[in-house]
Amino acid sequence: MSEPSISRPRRWDKPFSLEPGSEEEMTDADVEILLKKPPFSQIDPAGFKRSLPLHDIIKNDARVVGFDDGDIVVRRGDWGNSAFFILSGNVRVGLERGKPTLPDEILGRRHHKVKNLWESFSQLWRNHSVPEVRKLDSVFSKSELKTRHAHNSTRIYLQEVSAVLDKYHTARLETGHWFGELAALGRTSRVATVFSEGVSQLLEIRWQGIRDILRHDQNGKLKQYIEDAFRERALAAFLRTTPLFHDCQPELMQRIVDQVEFHTFGNYDSPKPFKDLIENQDHATEGGEPVIIREGDYPSGIVMIRSGLARISQRHYNGRRTIGYLSPGQIFGLDEIRAEVQSLTPVGCRTQLSAIGHLNAVLVPTPLVEELLKQNDSTGAADLHEVKTHVSDSGSHSVKINDDTLLSQLVDQNFVQGTSLMVIDLERCTRCDDCVRACSTAHDNNPRFIRHGPILNQYMIPNSCLHCVDPICMIECPTGAIFRDFAQGDIIINEQTCIGCAQCASNCPFDAIRMVDIRDSKGNIIVDSKTRSPLTQATKCDLCIDQRGGPACERACPHDALFRVDMQDASQVGEVFSR
Amino acid sequence: MQQRITFLLFTVISLLIFAGCYLFSITLSKTSFASGTILLLCLLFLASYQLRKKISFLPLGSSAAWLRFHIFIGFLSFVVFAIHTRLQIPNGLLEFILFLTYYTVFLSGVVGLFLSRTIPYRLLSRGEEVLFERIPVHRRKIHDRVKTLVFDDAQPEQGAALPDFYHKHLQDFFEGPRHQISHILHSKRHLHQLKQKISAQEPFLDEQEQVRLQQIAEQIQLKDDLDYQYIFQAIIKLWLFVHVPLTYSLIIFAFYHALAACAFASTSG
Ligand code: SF4
Ligand code: SF4
Repeated sequence: MSEPSISRPRRWDKPFSLEPGSEEEMTDADVEILLKKPPFSQIDPAGFKRSLPLHDIIKNDARVVGFDDGDIVVRRGDWGNSAFFILSGNVRVGLERGKPTLPDEILGRRHHKVKNLWESFSQLWRNHSVPEVRKLDSVFSKSELKTRHAHNSTRIYLQEVSAVLDKYHTARLETGHWFGELAALGRTSRVATVFSEGVSQLLEIRWQGIRDILRHDQNGKLKQYIEDAFRERALAAFLRTTPLFHDCQPELMQRIVDQVEFHTFGNYDSPKPFKDLIENQDHATEGGEPVIIREGDYPSGIVMIRSGLARISQRHYNGRRTIGYLSPGQIFGLDEIRAEVQSLTPVGCRTQLSAIGHLNAVLVPTPLVEELLKQNDSTGAADLHEVKTHVSDSGSHSVKINDDTLLSQLVDQNFVQGTSLMVIDLERCTRCDDCVRACSTAHDNNPRFIRHGPILNQYMIPNSCLHCVDPICMIECPTGAIFRDFAQGDIIINEQTCIGCAQCASNCPFDAIRMVDIRDSKGNIIVDSKTRSPLTQATKCDLCIDQRGGPACERACPHDALFRVDMQDASQVGEVFSR
Repeated sequence: MQQRITFLLFTVISLLIFAGCYLFSITLSKTSFASGTILLLCLLFLASYQLRKKISFLPLGSSAAWLRFHIFIGFLSFVVFAIHTRLQIPNGLLEFILFLTYYTVFLSGVVGLFLSRTIPYRLLSRGEEVLFERIPVHRRKIHDRVKTLVFDDAQPEQGAALPDFYHKHLQDFFEGPRHQISHILHSKRHLHQLKQKISAQEPFLDEQEQVRLQQIAEQIQLKDDLDYQYIFQAIIKLWLFVHVPLTYSLIIFAFYHALAACAFASTSG
């Protein structure tokens, strides 16, 4: 019996410009033109490896996309995997993050292709009896790459741009500007909606490309450019997401924006800090993490988390005890500065802040914070009660769990990363495995987890995907096959572009990704046409994204023992862990 | 709070059924047709829970909510059954089998409820969390470790203290799940006895053998914990094999009974 075979996919087999939605294929001539213009002309190509030259990065990881008047380029809340550079024309950015601008209804939020009732039901008999069956033509193949949809076939657009411009607060970005790079690099959601004003042409670069450029750009021009852009465009809106800055006077805000410092902790590329954290528990709270503000030090300003997570800890006898953690948007150090303003003597931090893995933060210098506090006090402008509540929340226990030890373990083992952490309460779980069976039925008889994993108190955390805030599994994926779903933020794997390189599986510190041999519908293992070695692909929990009704495991548990917890949501965490 | 509301609801519905049957009996001579129909509906609903489990990918409400309702209707069916049978043991053979099957299913349900509330605590209280299917593998590994400790290369197999002790007291213990009744009764007597035998053996061993015997004692503890996990996980799995097939038999008997009752009712006019 001959085995089915196809050629093993590789990075750049499918240049970005050949993916659906592109204008036309990126040619060498296009790349040459781009390389002559800033900011690309300011990048020194000599710093790039011969196997990964700047020219090839742009050719394969970038594409030119044309937009018509009102076409939406990115939407607030979507997960961003790419950045945009305006080649010609203008775009508009919806302003005032946190306030209702450009409502969802006019943004035409997309919905998933969820199985219809018949498709769902027929899983009962259509599921395959052999594991990991793939349709041969659905696995990445070059012939398929030649087909692409018309670039405007699925585009969403605003119907009356002039009315939108009148009604909502927007800003214009002109030719030569970048946008979307912060979400792409910080692996966060888009902070604003951007749409085309008139006809525009944009260069879209997927984040793997920007990552490689930043890594090898020796004179750091692009990094500087990105930082300046953030300062200019998004910083004020970002700061205003906390009550403290809500009513900051424009003049003071401008000075704050000018003087804010950007800090990055941990290595963007490497999942090592996480792995160290999990493997070497002794160092978790003391030496293993970069300290942002040390306990007892006078804070040089307030720290506001942009992306990543931070641990708040306190000295406890001869060690450190975790007392909380901070998620993006939360601040640290304000209590001390306020106390200093009131008593006129410097007050040291009662707790310590350290970065868990990769973290981006902004530091607003103390004199400006003092000025802001005085301004707020004198004008009574800000709702002081609201500010105080927020501050005391973020300053001490941002997420409350009655049990300090449990909280500390959750942080130490980095489970606080989870936006959908699977937790099984073993005091309720009868070990019936209905959850695993439900997962199996929903995934062609291949369950995406087993009921096995670390146990903290009575809670088991099975080795199932957490759908991390900062998904390091995505870092090294050469084809972008593992991605954040635009609509829901879940991390999913596209089996059409997964080349089986296992980078994601080896990066995942939670062992939540499994590499499997794939088979055809007769059960034969599919092999590479050249080497004859079996083709593998990554699989993991996809939160039942294509099923009606969401995670099957959670709904299948008869004893209310299994939960999916968003560890950034203090109320959910409290509800599950303090029962 | 939720439990109180459920209890109140249960009492109200039960009283309503009682009252309904009573009123019905004043106007008509026979209430068994009505109570029988309600009972059959209850049984069908109770059995449908198993079906719901099979189609868990459809948004039909959480399994936990279904289970709560399953328990509620299960107890309600008991009230209706009592009304239907007027708390008497039926005379006919089929009715008697039906009667017996219902009570077995009902009682197995109550036992299941008890088990599902208590076994999780027990499983947490002793031993490592192991998947049921993996227990034999763990057991084999422990046994292999013990055999390595006992049959050290330097020792002749026969006539040496540790192999003799192993053959006499340990071999059977390590070969499969043991002392299941003791575990169910939460007794550790067998473990104490084994430890006593170990203490009694110690004076006859040299220093090296004593160290190895201590290591064997640790493996005994591990194996005993594994047996504990095994028996409680097995009970809960076994329970389903009793409750579910019996429910299906009950449904078949009940339908047969209903058909017979209808046929009889129609012929008697
Ligand atoms: S959410 Fe879905 S895919 Fe993920 S473990 Fe649960 S059942 Fe499986
Ligand atoms: S379905 Fe619920 S009770 Fe059964 S094994 Fe899973 S978590 Fe435990």
